[in-house]
Amino acid sequence: MSYIECRKLTRAFHKGDTVIKPLRDLDLDIEEGMFLALMGPSGSGKTTLLNLLAGIDTATSGSLKIGGIELTSMPRSRLASWRADTIGYIFQLYNLVPVLTAYENVELPLLLHNYSKKERHAKVSLALDLVGLADRYDHYPRQLSGGQEQRVAIARAIVGDPKIIVADEPTGDLDAAAAAATMAMLKRLNIEFKKTMIMVTHDPKTAAVAQKTLHLEKGQLIENNA
Amino acid sequence: MKLIPWDYAVRNLGRNTMRLAMSLGGSALVALLILSAAAFVRGMERSMKVSGNAKNVLLIGAGSEESLERSEIGNGVASIVAASVQGIKTQLGVPYISPEVQMAALIRLEKEDPESYLSLFRGVTPSAYLVHPQVRITEGRSPGANEILVGRLASARLGIPDAKLAIGKTIWFDGRPWTVSGRFEAPNTVMEAEIWSPLKDLQIATRRDNVSTVVITLDDAEIDDIKDFCQQRLDLELVAVSESDYYAKLAQFYRPVQGIVWITAILIALGGMFGGLNTMYAAFAARTRELGMLQVLGYGRFALIANLMQESLIIAAAGGLIAVAAGFALLDGLAVRITMGAFGLAVDTTVIVSALAAAFALGIIGALPPALQCLRMPIAEALKK
Ligand SMILES: Nc1ncnc2c1ncn2[C@@H]1O[C@H](COP(=O)(O)OP(=O)(O)O)[C@@H](O)[C@H]1O
Ligand SMILES: [Mg+2]
Repeated sequence: MSYIECRKLTRAFHKGDTVIKPLRDLDLDIEEGMFLALMGPSGSGKTTLLNLLAGIDTATSGSLKIGGIELTSMPRSRLASWRADTIGYIFQLYNLVPVLTAYENVELPLLLHNYSKKERHAKVSLALDLVGLADRYDHYPRQLSGGQEQRVAIARAIVGDPKIIVADEPTGDLDAAAAAATMAMLKRLNIEFKKTMIMVTHDPKTAAVAQKTLHLEKGQLIENNA
Repeated sequence: MKLIPWDYAVRNLGRNTMRLAMSLGGSALVALLILSAAAFVRGMERSMKVSGNAKNVLLIGAGSEESLERSEIGNGVASIVAASVQGIKTQLGVPYISPEVQMAALIRLEKEDPESYLSLFRGVTPSAYLVHPQVRITEGRSPGANEILVGRLASARLGIPDAKLAIGKTIWFDGRPWTVSGRFEAPNTVMEAEIWSPLKDLQIATRRDNVSTVVITLDDAEIDDIKDFCQQRLDLELVAVSESDYYAKLAQFYRPVQGIVWITAILIALGGMFGGLNTMYAAFAARTRELGMLQVLGYGRFALIANLMQESLIIAAAGGLIAVAAGFALLDGLAVRITMGAFGLAVDTTVIVSALAAAFALGIIGALPPALQCLRMPIAEALKK
């Protein structure tokens, strides 16, 4: 049995009388420690799939098991604590809280657990060191470049030591240099820290960092090994 | 259940100075409005309550129980009561029986002044100071012939500067000058808005040979003894009313005014509340994506609602405190004119609590719907904003 197992996974949205099915009877297996890239045209259902895998959204039908746990029937509140334990999410637009410093932004996920202040400090410092921002603790997001903001966001995603990191077009808003640095960081998290990495991207060069690339089209998968 | 730290709500206040100023001003205004209405109603009620002394009985002309100013009773009633009823309070042999003329009179500030002012006159004898112990002469002395003693709020009642009624100043009434001999206070009673003069002089000026009322302070006697006296002396055409009952009735007469004040205040406050709702909705809606992100991290909706409510309640509390401070500085004791006299606005604990409660209600009602609205959205959708 694979670490992540999708069977006939379907997500339908009802808009008035019409039903949109961005995902249709999708079967997918992802091994633990895999670095997977999801590609596909705009509107092909990449974000929808990523959100299901991250436990942000629930499937209309089918089954989704992660580490043997069925997510599709999990109630909202359990899903929230499952996410807090299992998932680190990296967004295209960073989504940092503007009134919090880099340090406080990274600390946010830890406040959901019973860590002491000292333990939190150790974890936040480690995470910010890892993304090379040890000298930016007190900076607010507006005082950082886009690349630095994304690194803070990466630190926030890994600070709780989640098993899985999902990223939705993490380099979509960055210049080439910052994008390359970000990808190097994600690669390192995968290789060194054994994080299972699932990343949506438009850019074939970005996808090339992954171990495996899947193409989505009209809610179906077209496999293509890199 | 893990909450978002409280001080993040404080910092969120600083996101938009304009919005902060608007919501702070809005909640302060709403609270001040409720505070003013409450201070008005409380002040009015207090003045009615304190004015009536439970130990005092008013003798009023039969048929004029509703209005002392219309009442006419014989000049001799005071001495007849003194001789007929036992158990009336005395001091050194002087009974607490005060014949009084109470009337509204048009006065002028100058002899030929085209403008006249409706004032409340009370013609008194020295025993008036016995039956109305609240009255304290603060300046000067009690009035001699053609002199007047002026209550603290009399100028407010007339709508003229207080200096016009300083000691030594004159007013014109019945074509002759009346000189201010002194000033008095009678805290929170209707008497503070009155002008007192010797009973004799007022009777001459108004060419009347009767009084409006006789005020009696009881000692062992009961009000029923006075009522019995009225029954025995039907020829005098008197009714006895306890002073507290008289003012309680008067207060009832002003209930509708209080109702109108409340309704007006609440309507305007509701307007402010809808304005606040809009501001809050805009502020929270601008944060939809961030609220989505926090849910992705694992924060529950309750934690987010609590955080947004904290933010709103901080504004509400600050606005409420501003209103209370402004209320104390600007409103407490402020004289308000009504037809029967004047009274001071009362900013007391009840009033402060109502103002703060209004501010908090605004904070909750103004923020809860927009908070719920923002969080009703599925997380995936919120992230796309
Ligand atoms: N909440 C929603 N309600 C209705 N339709 C949606 C919703 N989310 C996504 N869709 C639709 O599903 C399809 C796939 O969307 P998405 O997964 O975001 O595509 P992408 O591959 O570009 O990330 C699109 O046609 C989109 O309009
Ligand atoms: Mg997408």
